[in-house]
Amino acid sequence: MSQSLPAIIYPVAIPLMGAFLLPIGARRMAELAGLFGRIVVLLSFSTSLALAVSIWTAGPAVSAMGGFAAPLGIVFYADRLAMLFLLALNVAVFLFWPRGQGAKGGPCTLMLALLAGGSGLILSGDLFNIFVFYEITAVASYGLAASGRTHAGFAAALRFLILGSVGSSLMLIGIALIYARTGTLNLADLSRIAPHALTGPVGLAAFILLLAGLGVKAELVPLNTWVPEVYGAAPARVSALLAGVVSKLAMVVALRFVVQVFPGDGAHTVLLVAGILGVLAGELAAWRAGSLMETFSYSSIAQLGMVALAFSISGAAGIAAGIALALHHAVVKPAFFMLAARWRGPVGGLAGAVKDSPLAVWLFVILSLSIIGIPPFPGFWAKFLFLKAAFAAPSAGVWIAVFVMLAGTVVEAAYLFRAVLVFFADGERGGSTPRFAFAQLAPALGLGAVLLAAMVFIAPLGASISGMADEASNAAAMAARVLDRGE
Amino acid sequence: MSELDFLFAFAAVLIAGVMCCGRDGRAGWAAMAVYGAMLVAVMAAAGKVAGGSIPSALGFSVLGHKIGWRMDGLGWFFSMLTAGAAFFASWYAAGEWGRAQPGMKTQHLLLALNVAAMLLLVNAGDLLSLFIGWELVSWAAFAMMAQKGGPAQPAAMRYMIYALAGAMAVLAGIMIVHAVTGSFAYKDFAAAFGAMSSGMKWLLAGLFAAGFGVKMALMPFHLWQAAAYSETPGASSAFLNAVSARMGLFALILVLVKVMGLSALAGLHVPLIGLSAKGLLMWIAAFTMVIPTFIALMQTDARMLLTWHGIGQGGYMLLGVLVGTGLGTAGGLLHVFNYATYQMALFLAVTAVIHRTGTSDLDRLGGLITRMPWTYVTLLMGIIGLAGLPPMNGFVSKWMIYRSLLDSGSAFLLIFAFVGTLGTILSVYKLIHNIFLGRLRPQHEGVREAPWSMVAPMLALGGIGFVTGWFPGLALNLTDIAQAAMGAPELPHGLGGVATARGSLNMIWVVSILLVAIGFGAIVFYFLGNRRYEVNQLNNYAGGHFLSPQVPYQFSHEFYPGLARVIGPWYRGSIVRAEQGIGTLLDVSGDLWRGIYHLAWTPLYLLAATVIALGWAIMGGM
Amino acid sequence: MRLLADIVLMPLIAFITGLFLVLMYRRVRAKIERRVGPPFFQPVYDIVKLFAKKTQISHGVMHDLSIVLLLGGYITAEIFLPVPGFKGLAEEGDLLTLIYIMMVPMLGLALGVGSCANPNGSIGISRALTAMLAYDVPLAVAIIGATMTYGTTNLVEIVRIQQEGGMATWGIATMPLLAIGGYLAVHGMFGKEPFEIYIAPAEIATGPMVEMSGKYMGALFIMQCFQLYTIGVLYVTLFLGGGENWPLFLIKVAAVVFISVAVTNVYGRYRTDKVVRWMWKWPTGIALLGLALVMAK
Repeated sequence: MSQSLPAIIYPVAIPLMGAFLLPIGARRMAELAGLFGRIVVLLSFSTSLALAVSIWTAGPAVSAMGGFAAPLGIVFYADRLAMLFLLALNVAVFLFWPRGQGAKGGPCTLMLALLAGGSGLILSGDLFNIFVFYEITAVASYGLAASGRTHAGFAAALRFLILGSVGSSLMLIGIALIYARTGTLNLADLSRIAPHALTGPVGLAAFILLLAGLGVKAELVPLNTWVPEVYGAAPARVSALLAGVVSKLAMVVALRFVVQVFPGDGAHTVLLVAGILGVLAGELAAWRAGSLMETFSYSSIAQLGMVALAFSISGAAGIAAGIALALHHAVVKPAFFMLAARWRGPVGGLAGAVKDSPLAVWLFVILSLSIIGIPPFPGFWAKFLFLKAAFAAPSAGVWIAVFVMLAGTVVEAAYLFRAVLVFFADGERGGSTPRFAFAQLAPALGLGAVLLAAMVFIAPLGASISGMADEASNAAAMAARVLDRGE
Repeated sequence: MSELDFLFAFAAVLIAGVMCCGRDGRAGWAAMAVYGAMLVAVMAAAGKVAGGSIPSALGFSVLGHKIGWRMDGLGWFFSMLTAGAAFFASWYAAGEWGRAQPGMKTQHLLLALNVAAMLLLVNAGDLLSLFIGWELVSWAAFAMMAQKGGPAQPAAMRYMIYALAGAMAVLAGIMIVHAVTGSFAYKDFAAAFGAMSSGMKWLLAGLFAAGFGVKMALMPFHLWQAAAYSETPGASSAFLNAVSARMGLFALILVLVKVMGLSALAGLHVPLIGLSAKGLLMWIAAFTMVIPTFIALMQTDARMLLTWHGIGQGGYMLLGVLVGTGLGTAGGLLHVFNYATYQMALFLAVTAVIHRTGTSDLDRLGGLITRMPWTYVTLLMGIIGLAGLPPMNGFVSKWMIYRSLLDSGSAFLLIFAFVGTLGTILSVYKLIHNIFLGRLRPQHEGVREAPWSMVAPMLALGGIGFVTGWFPGLALNLTDIAQAAMGAPELPHGLGGVATARGSLNMIWVVSILLVAIGFGAIVFYFLGNRRYEVNQLNNYAGGHFLSPQVPYQFSHEFYPGLARVIGPWYRGSIVRAEQGIGTLLDVSGDLWRGIYHLAWTPLYLLAATVIALGWAIMGGM
Repeated sequence: MRLLADIVLMPLIAFITGLFLVLMYRRVRAKIERRVGPPFFQPVYDIVKLFAKKTQISHGVMHDLSIVLLLGGYITAEIFLPVPGFKGLAEEGDLLTLIYIMMVPMLGLALGVGSCANPNGSIGISRALTAMLAYDVPLAVAIIGATMTYGTTNLVEIVRIQQEGGMATWGIATMPLLAIGGYLAVHGMFGKEPFEIYIAPAEIATGPMVEMSGKYMGALFIMQCFQLYTIGVLYVTLFLGGGENWPLFLIKVAAVVFISVAVTNVYGRYRTDKVVRWMWKWPTGIALLGLALVMAK
């Protein structure tokens, strides 16, 4: 057994340790809780960054836990796709660390647990291990949802918990089904066995059960009824984190399943249907939503539906489109949530906001233009990739998906610019809409700056996303790396 | 740096300049100077464009696709229109009118943005840069429309929804082309189009025609344009009407006529009707000519009347271009040019009236000819042009379109065109009568003429219309360049017009004789009669009553009651109701989905459904 | 030089012939009403009287200019309308140009009446324009059908085609339905009963002419002369074979006007909406049928 731990374990181990240690320290000095947590996150981020650099240069890394080689042991597999979302998770947790009243021991511990769970989720190459980390993430998010300590928050978190638990139980049953059919839980091994053992209705049922569990976090129809409630009642930073990054982690895990375990048409069709329903539900409900927060909750359902649509197209092109859409949404949606946090209540009451908080309004406009998909913003390139992938492999379902997505874009523009026009309308003598303190606006501004930087550097960004997708779609190479090398 | 890069640089410098110093009083004059320089630059590039295309250094590569900009003859023509329209609009706004506007710096900025976006659109080098330019123009126009606030905002929203739906159709079409040909270049699309299946051709033609047609307000997508354009502030609205409304036509010409080819479209047949795709589009253009013109006739707001006419005139342009012969294409393109001149003149004149009197309601104006004579002259020149009567330029382009329709044997389309012109004559007379003729209202006694900074550009535009009507060859030289770039047959023409074996038009003679005849008439009238005495407007026949200023003695409300009684019942408002139906459908579906999300029973249903599915799978599979 | 002669003589001939036609109109009406009718030079006397009146009331510069435009428009129309022996500028402007030049005087009248600031006049012009919309539709159909049959819009060519072929190639023989529809439209163009709603003497005090007196009225008289002549000649050119020589030509023109003025005296007046409906039903229907037959050939 090697004495030193492989580098791949640090992004999971450090936050997990921190999560255990933090409550102990917080009992002594409550103020240190937040600071300690932030330091842990920074440490985790630096290890992730080092790992990412090594993977970018040397290729994907595999690490067997405890020296037990695959397929019996638990394997951690880190490729560029996993690194992207690992880094994003770290940055997001740091950016949306609880402040002020919320920075007590409880929420901070849960944030670290979320970080640990999410990191493990994205890095793990074993089915049951994924389930374990998924559960850690889920429980942490239930707690964080309630961390606002309001009545609505408690009720919302409770419903979230029930739905999530039902989903997770179904996921467990699905894993059991797979194990019963194939005898292995290792993803790489499954990618070699699944084409024989998991075809037909049993395999499809197993995938649907797995998706039922993942879909709760990934906001897929019909498992996403918790979304508007929880995002409205939880603290804005928590909503931003959940909607922005955690949902993408679940989507990426679903992608891994589709690519490696269920490469057939059945799973793709299930994702397609889920995506179409998601886009329809999200855009139409957002059109009738009352407040900005509710609007953005439904909008995130729609955007994740689009990611599902992209992932439902088999091949590297679809995966690249999905990654682009997911990454774009991960930058834009948290910024929207931070803006909506101050602008509560019905949109009509925000008339004339451009005079009170011009920077916030212009940021809103830029984010809206990007999410609608107006060139030259990055959102356009993401949709462009999707259309490119869709028309390269047209089928009846794909045509419907394209139509739904384009129609959804029009509805999206309608409700977003409905709000923008209200902002620019002549309100009462200034001061009637909430103003933003700089600390409240800073995270959103930072994300806006990232968006604009992405717009400028779109060419290298596009190239790296394509590379990521190529790597992630190659199930055979991944299996070879995991099983034929050993450690 | 090529000439095109100079244009882009001018536009960028102007945007930066307005952003930093837009509030200065002389900003308007500076902007006017820059637009004038742009216009000069465009005209100077005419020779080079006629030979080939001018490349631009602007371009980038993303996701493996190269995107570039290039000016060919068609782009040159529309760039010239853009620069010219912006020049006159900013001249108008540079003086007193601009000072009276609340957000003039924003207006200047938006005009500069629109000009830059328009230049990016019409000089696009491939499909992807076309789409980028298309979206930029759409959103710049949206900002311009929404800027004023108040009733402009719902109109701008409606515009944006239509525009975005059209843009999505265009995007779908472009991506389908890319999937089939593997590139975004025009020539690859043109080469591959002939070999595509009939269904694919219909799909692409339909997507592009619908997507581009929304922006030029082809029926049934025409409901947004009138309100949106009339609520925009005056000078910007003139620009929008003259130029931005033509971006749809530009794209249609580019994609449907130049790339796909009219012969290919004529080869696609609609079952049961006996029309080809080209014929269907021509009939849509014909309906767009007639119906909005008669809706314009019924309007009581001067700006709405003009914007509804704008929709109708777009139909003429499209019809001419679709005929495809040298004469028809030249007629359509010339109509774009002519329309820009007289529509801008009309709009600026009406804006001057609003500036002085505060209203554009046709039922509340009258008799302003004594107070605003120069504005009246402009409006007169504009309406003669719009109606298409000699001696203005509108007549030449309409004549060419009529002749091309006759030559190609489309008698019924020609009847529609005639009816459209007749409706236009009625409608523009109502416009000029209700504003300038008739009786001056007591509250307008103190109205003064518009200042020279406003009158000069209006008269200049009317003058251009008159000169190009007298010597249409001047304008036809400009459209020749665009026509050559389109690949349409050449039209041999002289300075005075067109001479064909089956009937010619020589405007030099027509206008000269008209002027000579007017001279004769003047001799007869002024020298053969006695001296005339001018009387007060109250000195009028009133059937025995005595007129006083308080007695309203003007006929302007419901100016065509007989016609309204005949045509009124025909207007069912079906398209308006269809639009409302779609809106209601969206609302109801939205409420339905939102209602589902407020249920708490989902986990239960979910559990039930998956237990059943699981049972089935396990029974079946194991 | 020939051209200069044409430019001067064609309007003059038109005016003189128009005077005859006006006289014919008044004499026919008189005969139907069992009166003697005015003497031979009455139209001339009327015009001279009006121009010589002492009180010439003007309602502004536009009022004057519009009358000038009125006269100028019709004079121009005459120069572009070929008659036996005089081609004028018919080669430089075709049938479509002529139709549009004929709308210029109508515009001039409308502007002049508008500047009089009398609502009776404005109502009259509104009705006149509505009636113009009404009768121009069947007229357009007839003209389109005619040009499609002859294959050209050059008026000189049209006359030549009909004269070379003899009576069998006259428009009225080759396209009878179009000729009938066109004639009904032409009757509306004359503005006589039952389509004289725009004048409606007792209802709106003669409409456009309410504020026109003296030389303004005289100019309108001159316009009537030109109008009867121009419309008659246009119809003859399109459907009755043009003029081989002057006597026959004058007979044809007089016949066209005669039928119209004979019919007019026994009719009342249609309301504006009835004018529109009638014109869009009967003449348009007949002309469309004729057009369909022409296109089927």
